[in-house]
Amino acid sequence: MMEYKIEKKSAPSGEDIEVLGATFEEGKPEGEEPGKWRQKLGGRKEKLKYLQTAERYWYGEDWYGSEKRRNPA
Amino acid sequence: MEEAETKSIDKASIKMIDKAANDGVNTVFDRAEAMKPCPIGMVGSCCKHCGMGPCRVPLPKGKVETPEEKQKRRGICGATSETIAARNFIRMVAGGAAAHSDHGRGVAEVFLAVAKGEAPGYEIIDEQKLLQLALDWGIEISERSNQEIAVDIGAKALNEFGKQEGEILFLRRAPLKRQELWRREGVAPRGIDREIVEIMHRTHIGVDQDYQNLLRQGVRASIADGWGGSMIATELQDILFGTPEPVLGRINLGVLNRDEVNLIIHGHEPLLSEMIVVTAQEPEMVELAKSKGAKGINIAGMCCTANEILMRHGIPIAGNFLQQELAIVTGAVDAMIVDVQCIMQSLTTVAECYHTKIITTSPKAKIPGATHIEFDEHNAMESARAIVKMAINNFPNRGSNVDIPEEQTDLIAGFSHETINYLLGGLFRASYRPLNDNIINGRIRGVAGVVGCNNARVKHNYAHITMIKELIKNDVLVLQTGCSAIASAEAGLMTPEAASKYAGEGLASVCETVGIPPVLHMGSCVDNSRILMAATAMVKDGGLGDDISDLPVAGAAPEWMSEKAISIGQYFVGSGVFTVFGVNWPTLGSNEVSKFLFQDFEAMYGGMWAFEPDPLKAANLMIEHIDQKRKALGIDKARERILYDMTMRRELEAV
Repeated sequence: MMEYKIEKKSAPSGEDIEVLGATFEEGKPEGEEPGKWRQKLGGRKEKLKYLQTAERYWYGEDWYGSEKRRNPA
Repeated sequence: MEEAETKSIDKASIKMIDKAANDGVNTVFDRAEAMKPCPIGMVGSCCKHCGMGPCRVPLPKGKVETPEEKQKRRGICGATSETIAARNFIRMVAGGAAAHSDHGRGVAEVFLAVAKGEAPGYEIIDEQKLLQLALDWGIEISERSNQEIAVDIGAKALNEFGKQEGEILFLRRAPLKRQELWRREGVAPRGIDREIVEIMHRTHIGVDQDYQNLLRQGVRASIADGWGGSMIATELQDILFGTPEPVLGRINLGVLNRDEVNLIIHGHEPLLSEMIVVTAQEPEMVELAKSKGAKGINIAGMCCTANEILMRHGIPIAGNFLQQELAIVTGAVDAMIVDVQCIMQSLTTVAECYHTKIITTSPKAKIPGATHIEFDEHNAMESARAIVKMAINNFPNRGSNVDIPEEQTDLIAGFSHETINYLLGGLFRASYRPLNDNIINGRIRGVAGVVGCNNARVKHNYAHITMIKELIKNDVLVLQTGCSAIASAEAGLMTPEAASKYAGEGLASVCETVGIPPVLHMGSCVDNSRILMAATAMVKDGGLGDDISDLPVAGAAPEWMSEKAISIGQYFVGSGVFTVFGVNWPTLGSNEVSKFLFQDFEAMYGGMWAFEPDPLKAANLMIEHIDQKRKALGIDKARERILYDMTMRRELEAV
C-alpha cells in the first residue's frame, strides 16, 4: 500500500493548507515497452485518422490553428 | 587530480584525464593547453581562398581605427575585412550544412534501397511516419503497399538534394508567415546541394564582395540544412528505425563493463549502428564472447550515434565529444567503431597505448592506423557481424591497466515532437495546448533550445550545465540535442525527479503533472529539426503569435566548436530564434559583420545572433529575450483566474 505524503501549500486565499502530495510509484521502468505509445495505433486507417487529429494543423481539413484567422491556408 | 578538475566538471572524465596523464597518454585536453588558437583566424580575419594569401586583416589592438586605416585593411585582392569575415562565416555554414545534408542523403539512399528490397536486414518500422511524409509530399497512399509508397518517398527525398528550381518541400511545414518571410527575403532554398555549392562559388576570389549579400546566402543554405537535409535525415531514420518514444537509459563512462566485451559506436549515422545492436544480441555472437572469457557483449554509444541508439533502444551512452579518448583510456574498450563527423584522428594514437581496435566504416572517413571495414547497406548484417567478431576476438588482449569509473546516471530520452504532442494530450487529443496554456499563464516562462558540442577551449560540460540550471531555475523548459544533451544527462537533469530539485516552482509543477523532466532529450544533431517542428507546433496551436519569432523562445550553443553548430545556429536565427553562442565568435574581426548578425538580422528574420562566453550571462540574455517576447504578446503580467458563479454569468450575459 502506497503511503500518501502530506504537503503544506498556500491556498489562493492566502491561508496555509495541507494537501495530498505526489503519488509516484517507486522503481524504474524496465525494457523498452513502457514508453511505447505509437504501437497503440492499429491499421493504416487508424494511423491516418490520428495524423488528421493529432497533427491537425498540418493534415486535418477542419483545423488550421492560429493561422486560420488571418491567413487562410 | 587537481589539474584535471580544471578541465571538466564531470567526475568520471576527471578520473580518466588523470589516468591518461599517469599512463603517458596525450589527449585533447593536453593539446588544447599546448597550442593556443590563432587570434587572427579565430575572429575571421584571415583569408586563404587564393594563392596570393593567406591575407591577415586583424582589427588594430587597443585603439580606434581611423577611416584611412580601415581603407587600407584589405587583402591583396582588395577584399575588405567585412568581406573576409563574411566569407569565412558562410563557408562554415556550408561545411555544417554539407555534413548534415550528406548524412541525410546517405539515409535517403539506404531508404530507397530498403523500399526496393535491395537492403536485407532493414525494414520499414514506422508506417505512421511513412504516411505522414506521403501526406507532406503529395504521394498517393490509397491501397498502395508501404514499399510502393516508400519508393516514391525515397526518390523524392533524393531529388531534394539536386533540385535546381522551386523550393525544398519541407518549407511547407513551417508557419505560413515564416514561409512568406523567407520568400520576401529571397532565402527560401531551391535545392540543398545548390545552396551549398553557391556559397563555395560566391566565396571564391573575386565573386560576391558584399558582406550582407554573402550572409543572406548563408541563411539560405542553413535553412536548406535545418528544413532540408537534417529534416530528411530525421524523418527517414524515424521510418526505418522508429520515431523516438520515452525510454530509460544510462549514461557516462561507468556504463562500460569490466566482465563483458565493450564495443563503442561513435559518430553520427544510425545506419550501421542499428545493425550492430541487432547483431550483438545474436546467440552465436554471445556464445563467441563467452568462449573468449567474457560474460556477454556490452554496446555503448558516443556522441550523436549514441543519441540515435539511445532514443530508439535505450542503449547506454558512454559520453560526449570530449570523452571519446577518455573511453579508450579506461583500458576496457575492445573496439570503437566510427562512421562520420566529430571523430578525433588521435583515437588511433590513444588506442596504441591500450588494446582497443579502432574500426572505420565509411568510405568518406578513413583514419591511418585504423582497421577499415566498409559498411555496405546491401550487406549490412555481414559488415556488422565482422565488426562485432573483431571486438570479441580482441577481448583477451585487454591489459591489466583497466580502470572504469563508477559514475553513471539514469536519464529518460525519446522526446520527439510526436511524443511531446502525445504526452501533452494523449492519444485522442494529442496537442501542444497544455504547453501553450502554461506559457500563457506564466508557469512556464518560455522554451530554450540548448544544443551543440563540447569545446576543449573551455571546461568540459561546465557552460552547458551552468546555463541550463539557470534556465530551468527560471521556469524555462529546455529542449536539447547532441553533446549538450549528453552533458545534461550526465549531470542528472534528464529525469522527472530533476524538476523538483532544479526547476522553478512553475516549471516543476507542469513537469510533475505531465511526468517529464525539465530538460528534454530530443536526439542527435540532425534532430534539431525536431526542435523546429516543436516551435512550429507551438505557433500553430495558437495564443503565442503567428510566427516562430513571436514565441518566447531562445536558442544556445554554449560550448560550440563545429561548423555544424554554426549552420544549426544560423537556421535557428533564420527561423526567427534569438540564438546565443559561447566560447568565441568567428566574425569579431569585423564590427560591421558582427553588428549585422547581432542586430540587423532581427529586422530581416525576427531572430538574431548573440555572443556571450559567460554561460550565466548568456542564460540571462535568453531569459531577457523571452521576457521581451512575453511582453510583446501581452502575457508578461500574471492574471488572476476568476471562476464565475451564476450571478456573475448573468451579469456578463446582460451586457
